[in-house]
Amino acid sequence: MSTEALVQFLDVQKIYPNGTAALAGVSFSIRAGEIHAICGENGAGKSTLMKILFGLEQPSAGVLRIGGKEASLRSTRDAAMAGIGMVHQHFSLVPSLTVAENISLGFEPTVGGVFFNRRAAHAFAEDLSVRYRLQIDPRATAASLSIAMKQKAEILKALARNVRLLILDEPTAVLTPAEAGELFDHLRQLKAAGVTILFISHKLKEVRAIADHITVLRAGKVSGSAPLCSLADAEVTRLAMGKLVPSVSRHADRAIGAAALQVEAVSRAARRSASRITDITLAVAQGEIVGVAGVDGAGQEGLVEVLTGDAVPDKGRVLLGGEQIGGLPKARLRALGVSHLPADRYKTGGASALSLTENAMALARRSPRLSIGQYLKSKACEVLAREMIEAYDVRCTSPRQPLGSLSGGNAQKLIAAREFSVKPRLLIAEEPTRGIDVLAASTIHGRMVDLARSGTAVLLFTSDLDELLTLSDRIVVMHDGRIVAQFISSPDLTTEEIGRAMLGLETSHA
Amino acid sequence: MSFASHIPGIVGVVNAMLRVATPILLAGLGALLSERAGVINLGLEGMMLSSALAGVVVSAYTGSALLGLLGAMTVGALLGAVLHGAVHILNTDLILSGVALNLAASAGTVMCLYWLTGEKGISSSLSSKVLPTIAIPLVRDIPLIGPVLSGRNVMTYVAFFAVPAVSMMMANTTFGLRLRAAGQDPASTAIAGVRVARIRLAALVLSGMFAGMAGAYLSMGYVSWFGANMSGGRGFIAIAAEVMGGGTAYGTGVAALVLGGAEALAVTVQSYGAPSELIQAVPYIVPVVALALYARQRQRRTAAQ
Amino acid sequence: MRKALYKRGARLCLILLVIAVVLWPVVASLDDPRGAFFTFVLGPFNDMRHFGNVLEATIPLLFTGLAVVIMFKAGAFNLGAEGAFFLGGVVATAVLLKLPLAGPLLPVVAIVAGGVIGASVCVVPAWLKASVGASELVCSLMLNYAALFIGLYIVNYHLRDPNAGAMLSYRIPLDGKLPRILAGTRVHLGLVIGLLGCALGAVYLYKTRWGYESRLVGSNPLFARHVGVRTVLVGLIAPCVGGFIAAAGGAVEIEGMYSRFSWTDLPGLGWNGLVVAILANNNPAFVPVAAVFLAYLEVGGDLLAQNFAVPAEVVGVIKALIILFSTMSIAVGNPRIKQLLVRVMPGARKLNTEVEP
Repeated sequence: MSTEALVQFLDVQKIYPNGTAALAGVSFSIRAGEIHAICGENGAGKSTLMKILFGLEQPSAGVLRIGGKEASLRSTRDAAMAGIGMVHQHFSLVPSLTVAENISLGFEPTVGGVFFNRRAAHAFAEDLSVRYRLQIDPRATAASLSIAMKQKAEILKALARNVRLLILDEPTAVLTPAEAGELFDHLRQLKAAGVTILFISHKLKEVRAIADHITVLRAGKVSGSAPLCSLADAEVTRLAMGKLVPSVSRHADRAIGAAALQVEAVSRAARRSASRITDITLAVAQGEIVGVAGVDGAGQEGLVEVLTGDAVPDKGRVLLGGEQIGGLPKARLRALGVSHLPADRYKTGGASALSLTENAMALARRSPRLSIGQYLKSKACEVLAREMIEAYDVRCTSPRQPLGSLSGGNAQKLIAAREFSVKPRLLIAEEPTRGIDVLAASTIHGRMVDLARSGTAVLLFTSDLDELLTLSDRIVVMHDGRIVAQFISSPDLTTEEIGRAMLGLETSHA
Repeated sequence: MSFASHIPGIVGVVNAMLRVATPILLAGLGALLSERAGVINLGLEGMMLSSALAGVVVSAYTGSALLGLLGAMTVGALLGAVLHGAVHILNTDLILSGVALNLAASAGTVMCLYWLTGEKGISSSLSSKVLPTIAIPLVRDIPLIGPVLSGRNVMTYVAFFAVPAVSMMMANTTFGLRLRAAGQDPASTAIAGVRVARIRLAALVLSGMFAGMAGAYLSMGYVSWFGANMSGGRGFIAIAAEVMGGGTAYGTGVAALVLGGAEALAVTVQSYGAPSELIQAVPYIVPVVALALYARQRQRRTAAQ
Repeated sequence: MRKALYKRGARLCLILLVIAVVLWPVVASLDDPRGAFFTFVLGPFNDMRHFGNVLEATIPLLFTGLAVVIMFKAGAFNLGAEGAFFLGGVVATAVLLKLPLAGPLLPVVAIVAGGVIGASVCVVPAWLKASVGASELVCSLMLNYAALFIGLYIVNYHLRDPNAGAMLSYRIPLDGKLPRILAGTRVHLGLVIGLLGCALGAVYLYKTRWGYESRLVGSNPLFARHVGVRTVLVGLIAPCVGGFIAAAGGAVEIEGMYSRFSWTDLPGLGWNGLVVAILANNNPAFVPVAAVFLAYLEVGGDLLAQNFAVPAEVVGVIKALIILFSTMSIAVGNPRIKQLLVRVMPGARKLNTEVEP
C-alpha cells in the first residue's frame, strides 16, 4: 500500500439550485491501494460525494484530482475512463438482460462492428468470474438473481471496466451478516489485486472490520480523516454526530393493554417471493411496539400487503380488536383505524405535485371538522395542515407549497403527522426513518413512542437494527416467509443474535 | 367445382388484406422501435400524413417514384428527430407532443399543398408517381398462392422482409441490445455509460422512417394522390397492432395481417349490401376489440402465475 | 405566489411569440401583409357580427375544454371528447326529429340523451381499462373514428332529408332550437349553460370531497388508494362525466347553431378542447378565458382565409405549437437551456422547482 494519493478532494462544494448545500467544502485524500471508508449519518453528504466521483453530479466549486491530475467527470462514461467503478445500493442491472449482457453493456464485443458477439461476452464474464473468484452464471437473467448474487454481478460489472477505484455504496444494507462477511473477503482479495476501494457506510462495526482509513462527514464537511487504528469508536461517533441527539427509548412504564392486532396462521402464496408468507402468527397489544426484522424479501412485504388491504390471505385470519379485517379493502381498513406509513414515501405516501395541505388532509377529509357532506372547508383544511407542520417541526415556507419541494426528512415528518394524528388503533410503519436526517428521525421516533403510549398498537418493519432495538418491546424475525424467532427486547439483546435469526440459523422463541 | 369458382374471390380478399395491412405493418414496426426504446411515438399518424404529402410532391417534381419514397422517409425521419428534440431539449410532455405533431401535420400538410399547388384538399394537379407492383416470373404461375405472392406492391414486399430484419436487429445487434436496455431501465443503462438520449433519438428517427414508408405507400401505392387527412387514424391502429403483437416484430406482423383481414372481409361484405358507413367503422372497432381480448388474455396469464 | 404569476406571464409571452412566428412567414408572402395581420388580430373585434362569431365559437369550446379538464385532472388520459361531441350531436338531432314532444322540454331531453349516449365514446375505453387493462388512450382515439362512421350511418340512413341535397338531415323543429341571447349575433343560450358548467366544474374540483379525491387520483393514484380512495371508481366516473359534457356540447351546438345536421367529418372541437384545457392549466375556472382566446384565434384565421389567400389551417399549426410549448417545463430540464435562460432572465432562477436529493 503506497502513500501516494489516488483521489484528492480539495475544498469541493456542491450547492443545489434550491439553496441546499450538500457539500460545504470537503477536503481529503484517498491513497492508492487502501480500503477507505466514508462514514456519516444520513444527510451528511456521503451520497453526493459519491455521485461526484462517479460523474453523476458536478461540484459547484473546488477541485477533484485523480492520479495527480485535475479531473472533471461529466458523465459515468468519464468516470469509467478514469478507472472509477461503482456498486450501487439499489443495483444498476437491467432486469431482462443476462448477467453477461449487463456486464458488457456499453462496450459490447461485436462481430463486424454491428452484431452482438454473445459468445465472446459470455466468455468474458466467465473469465472475470474466475479471476475475481465471484461465482456467477453469465447466462442468468438479472431479474432472476438473488440479492447477494445481484451484488456480485454489480461488482463484476464494475471490475470489467479495469477499475482503479471501486466505490461501494452501503453494500451491506441488503445482506445478512454472513453474506457481509463473504463480501469483505472478496474486498480483501480485490485489495490484494491492487484495486483501491471506497466503502461508504454508516455501520461502524463493519467499517472496523474492513477499512484501513476512515473519513467522517458531518453536515457536508469533513469532520475527521485518519487511519482507523488511531481512532476509538467513541471518537468516530463523536465526529459523526457532533452534538448529542436526544435518544428515544422504550420506557418500561408504558402500559400494555389488551390484544389489538391478532394474526392467526396467515398464509399467502404469491408469484413474487417477497410477498410469500406461510403460517404467520403474531399479536400486537395496545400500546406495544413490535418490531419485525428480516433481510430484504423475507416476507415482510407480503405481511404488510395482507395487513394493509393490498392482498387477501389464502389461509388464516387477521383480527383487529376481535373483528375480522383480513381481505377488507383499504377504505374499510382506514375507517377501522388502521394507519400505514409506507416504505416508499413519494410513490405511495404522498402526491409530490399537490400542496402540503392537500397531502395533510387526505385522511381527515370525511371528518366534520373538514367537510360538511361533500363540501370541503378550505380554511379548516389549511389550519389542520398548519397544526401538523407545527407539531412535527416540518421545515417549509407555506402549507401551499408542493410536497415535492420539501427535503426527504420534512416530507416524511408531514406524512407521519398525517398518519399518526388520526389516532389509529393500529399503525403499520415501514422503514420510517430510511434516508432522512438524524433530527427528523428523532422526531418521528418520539412521536411514534407517544402514539404507543396513548394506546396504539404499532407494528414496525425496518432494516435498521439499531432503530429496531431502540423502539421495540418485542422483536419478531422473519425468514423465507415464516416467523423464525421472537425476542423480548432487553439491554443484552445484540444485533448479532437477530442477524443469525435473519439468516435462518437460529430459531428461538423467547 | 364450386370451390374453384370461389378462388378468385378468396385471392381478391387476401390481396386486399395485404394491401390494407402494409401501411399498418410498416408504421407498426415504427411504433415497436420507439416503444421498446421507452419513448411511445403517438405522432406516427402525423408522420405518415406528412410523408404521404412529401412522397407525392417529391415524385411529382423529380419524376421519380424512388426519390419520392426517399423524400417521404426523410420527412418522417426529420419529424422523429423533431419529436425527440422537443421532449429531450425542451422537456415537453411526450404524449402531448405526439398529439401536437399530429395536429400540426394535419393543418400543415393542407397549407403546404395550398402553397405548392393552390389546391385545398387534394393533389390532383400534381402528376405524382406511383410505387410499382412487382410481378415475380416463376412464382406467379404457382396455382392458388401465385396470384397472391406475385404482383403485390413493392412496399408490401419491403414490409414482409422488414419484419425479420427488425426482429434480428433487436435480438442480435448491439444497437438492439442497448435499445432494449434503454427502454426497460434507462437509469441503469445510463450508468453503464450508454447515451440513452442518443438511442432514443435513433429510435424515433427510425420510427419516423418507417412511418415515412407507410405514408409513401398510402399516397403512391394505395392510391396515387394526396388528400387531406388521408392517413385516417392508421397511425393509431398501428400502435394498437404493436400492442397486440406483444412488442415483437413478428407479433406486430401477425396483428397487422389480422387487422387487414378484418377490413378486407368487411369490404367484401359491403358488396352484399351492408351500409358503407358501418363498414368504414369496422377498421376502428376491430382493433379495440382485439386490444381488449389481448389485455384480458394477459391479465389471466399474470393472475394464474 | 409571485412565482406562479411569473410562470403564467412567461407562458403567455411564449404563446404570443408562437403566434407571431407562425404568422410572420404566412403574412409576409402576401400582397398586403399589414392588412392581413390586422385582419387576423383586430378583425374579430371590428364589428358586432365578428365579435358574435367569437362568442359562438367559444360555446362548444366551453364544453369540450371542461370535459378534457375533468378527465385529465382525474388522471384519465382519455381523448374521446372528439367522438363524444360528434355522437352527441347526432343523437340530439335524432331525438329532435323523432320524439313527439313539444315545448321547451324537447331541447333539454335531446341534450341529455345526446350526452348520455355520446358519453359512451369516453366510457367504453375507460371501462376497458378498468376491467382488462387495455390502453384507454389508444382505444379512445380509435373510437373517435368509429363514432364518426356510426354517426354518419345514423344520419344518412335514418335522418336524411332526400329533398335537401347531399348529406343533410331533415330540418330540426323550431321548438328544439336554443334561443338567441345577443341581438345582432347568433350567440345562443348555450353560452350560459357552458359558463354555468365551468363554474360548477370549478366548485366540484376544488370545493367538494369527490373533486378532491378525483385530483388525488390524477396526481398519484397509488397515494389515492393508500388513503382509501376508490381509484377504479374515480377512473370510471371522470370519463362518464367528461364524456357527457363533451357530448352535451355537441347537442348544444346543433341546437344552437344549426337548422339541419350537416357535419360530414369530425369537427375537430374535441382537439380544440384539449388546447383549451392546456391553456387553462387544467383549471375549470380558467376554461372560459382560454376558450375565448382560442375562439378568437379561430375567427381571426377564418377572416384571414376569407379575405386573403391563406388557408384557415394556419390556426391549426398555431394550436399545435401552443400544445407543444405549453407542456414545456423550463425549470426541470436541460441544464444548458437553464443556463442560457438564467443569463437572459435573472429571475428565471426562481422558476426552479427541483427537489432536493
